[in-house]
Amino acid sequence: MASATVAAPASASPGLALLRRAFGDARTRTLSFLALFFLYAWMQAVGYRDAYPTLAARLDFARSFAGNDALRLFYGYPYNPVDVGGYCAWRVGGVLAIVAGAYGLLGAVRALRAEEEAGRLELVLAGTIGRQRAYLASLGAVGAGIVLLWLAETLGLLAGGLPLGGSAYLALATVSVAAVFAGVGALVSQLAPTRRLALEISSGVLVLCLLLRAIADASHSLDWLRWATPLGWAEQLRPFTGQQPAALVALAACSAVLVAIAGRLARSRDLGSGLLPARDTAAPRTRLLGSTLAHAVREERTSLAIWVLGAGGYGLVLGLVSSSISSAGISPAMRRELKLLGSGSITTPRGYLSLIFIFFVLTVSLFACAQVAAAHREESEQRLDTLLSLPVGRSRWLAERLALACGGAVLIALASGAMTWLGAAWEGVPVTLMQMLEAGANCLPAGLLFLGLAALAYALLPRASGALAYGLVTVAFLWELLGSVVRAPSWLLKLTPFAHIGFVPERPFQLGAALVMLGGGLAGALAAVVLLRRRDIGGG
Amino acid sequence: MDDDRDPEKLTDMASQTTDAPAQTAPPPGRGDVAIRTSGLCKRYGATVAIADLDLEIARGEVYGYLGPNGAGKTTTIRLLLGLHRPSAGRAELFGVDAWREPVAAHRRVAYVAGEPFLWPSLTGAETLELLASVRGGVDVAYRKTLLERFQLDTDKKVRALSKGNRQKVQLVAALSSRADLLLLDEPTAGLDPLMEVAFRESVREASERGQTVFLSSHILSEVEALCDRVGILKQGRLVDQGTLAQLRHLSAQTVEVTFAGEAPTLPELSGVEVQRAGANSLRLEVTGPIAPVITALDGLPVLELTSREPSLEEVFLHHYDGTGSDG
Repeated sequence: MASATVAAPASASPGLALLRRAFGDARTRTLSFLALFFLYAWMQAVGYRDAYPTLAARLDFARSFAGNDALRLFYGYPYNPVDVGGYCAWRVGGVLAIVAGAYGLLGAVRALRAEEEAGRLELVLAGTIGRQRAYLASLGAVGAGIVLLWLAETLGLLAGGLPLGGSAYLALATVSVAAVFAGVGALVSQLAPTRRLALEISSGVLVLCLLLRAIADASHSLDWLRWATPLGWAEQLRPFTGQQPAALVALAACSAVLVAIAGRLARSRDLGSGLLPARDTAAPRTRLLGSTLAHAVREERTSLAIWVLGAGGYGLVLGLVSSSISSAGISPAMRRELKLLGSGSITTPRGYLSLIFIFFVLTVSLFACAQVAAAHREESEQRLDTLLSLPVGRSRWLAERLALACGGAVLIALASGAMTWLGAAWEGVPVTLMQMLEAGANCLPAGLLFLGLAALAYALLPRASGALAYGLVTVAFLWELLGSVVRAPSWLLKLTPFAHIGFVPERPFQLGAALVMLGGGLAGALAAVVLLRRRDIGGG
Repeated sequence: MDDDRDPEKLTDMASQTTDAPAQTAPPPGRGDVAIRTSGLCKRYGATVAIADLDLEIARGEVYGYLGPNGAGKTTTIRLLLGLHRPSAGRAELFGVDAWREPVAAHRRVAYVAGEPFLWPSLTGAETLELLASVRGGVDVAYRKTLLERFQLDTDKKVRALSKGNRQKVQLVAALSSRADLLLLDEPTAGLDPLMEVAFRESVREASERGQTVFLSSHILSEVEALCDRVGILKQGRLVDQGTLAQLRHLSAQTVEVTFAGEAPTLPELSGVEVQRAGANSLRLEVTGPIAPVITALDGLPVLELTSREPSLEEVFLHHYDGTGSDG
């Protein structure tokens, strides 16, 4: 038996083994993002070609939208919306760059700070691998994911009939943002002592970069701000429209510098801590400790504040730029087209705001998923065992968490409405506070429907619940954006809750649909609260 | 419904003691049993974690629940807390079904988890405050005593505490609740020897107050020092149970004899197993009466004779070395 004691290691290099593990750890997320990148790129290319087959139609489209500042808030600046490539550079590049940024920071924080916080990095570093190599191997896993995203987007564009060179270049412009935000995530992972704080800070950076791009794209005097945000650099690459590869240098350099600084910090600090001053001792503050609900509020309040501020801040900018919307450049044919799409009149500031509030519906829905994920973490990190060993029923506990999520959703929705009104009123757009609060409240039925469904997923399949909940919201939203572009049959289009939201205040509130969604959400939540009684909690 | 809360939540937390949870008074005749499981089984897929477990632990008992890692100790406690659903059978705390009515059952229970996971951003004091107010009462004076005894710095945030210190937070929370039943899952893992002493003192105090203690452990000396009764768990089955005296009685008494010169061959005796323990000495495992051994040794050149009761460790190993597998 003695000869068997020296077994060959499974992998020759510990760095490679670590990279593989980190990559495998993120596989569900990576696969979802790959699917999203491929499908979104492909459907946008196909959809545009089908919807605007002739040059005349495209010119009409361009006249309507190219001059429309407010639309650029989400999609970026359209340099050439009259050919498929230029359209994709605008719509695909503009949106997926934000998603790519999220992928980069989520991946880096997960591979670095979360591993360290859980104590697994300590175990790894006790082995034969050095700090620097462990750091690079963990980031390497994120890098591998980014390369795959690049492939997926390129293939999606190719499938949509675009040429190889331009597709690869556009995909590169998109994923280079992921590389920069992987650097941001890596750096913040050195600063923040917990995964949660690291995610909050780096998402804050992403939202700020997005706001800068939105302002630069929408305002002619401030367009130099585009150079202040990596999302702007990706735009400056101008895929399919007079390519300017020089901006790639900025992206690559920024990513490299961030990664290098973070690597240096990773080498020189104490393991298990962050560089931000964190006080490990404090006099007891007993506020919000009197009950499980109060304690949940205490745990979630920072996160909630970030959601409210983020949504409110975006609402303010939307309100400010909405005044630039006018019907001057939009042809009657295009107006008919927009009417067919059910968007109401996007050609007035009020119509634009009504339409754009669908993004706040998405925000509230994602917040709902995040709240259910936070509840799930209480269980997976075994703190729920401790709570439930006290005289606290699990149904009651989940009901409280869902009530808290509801309250948070209401705050976010109303803050979006109020701040949008503030911005719009500042610029003299004729909307009332009541109207915009109504638009905000109109986000709630769909958001609460997703809250109920996410809760149900948690009660039934706790481990898969995060992927299910976020996946459902993403698919439903993309279907709303893309379904009409690819001209799907109307019954298919109606499958997504987003299709049943009235564009308040331009269009009437859809009371019937709202009641159905609220009923569905309530049914899901009640079922979750009851079904949680039937399964094992934690550990198994 | 499991989510009714105690309507008489105490605001004066200092005043609560555990002896009068009137609203959950057990039915007459059953009140003497703190824990009862009957035919309790738990399977995870094809794995049998707990098989046909019958436990009956009286009020006021200190019960040691012994078993190596993976024997099913934590699963048993999860079933007792109603966190996991029994595959068959049932578990009752003070006559209340642990799965069906966990909230009622938990009013009289305090739990210390084997892995001390708590909220990283709360300090020790804040954690104690949270757990006390969710429970609805705590003996503040005793908590103060415990904090001093365990030398816990309660201003430190949980994320900065070592495993042992987080364990202490849990112990102080559970002990200061003065709950009728303490469910302790390997509570001293991570504690240093001084704190082990503090822990034993606290368990004795709890026992003197009439509290029931269910102590899951694989530290035999701890169980030996504290427990009235011991159950030994092996692969999800209770293979032995009884007081220490009973368990010892079932096992052999060890007699070691050293002779002047080479050890002789003893005659065959029933209930005595003879092993050679060196050139001049024999080790006798005596399961029956000791008198025939004395008779056999009479007249032989005995230099030294020691006799000792088996330690719990030997009882335990008896079940685990493969020879005593059927208990």
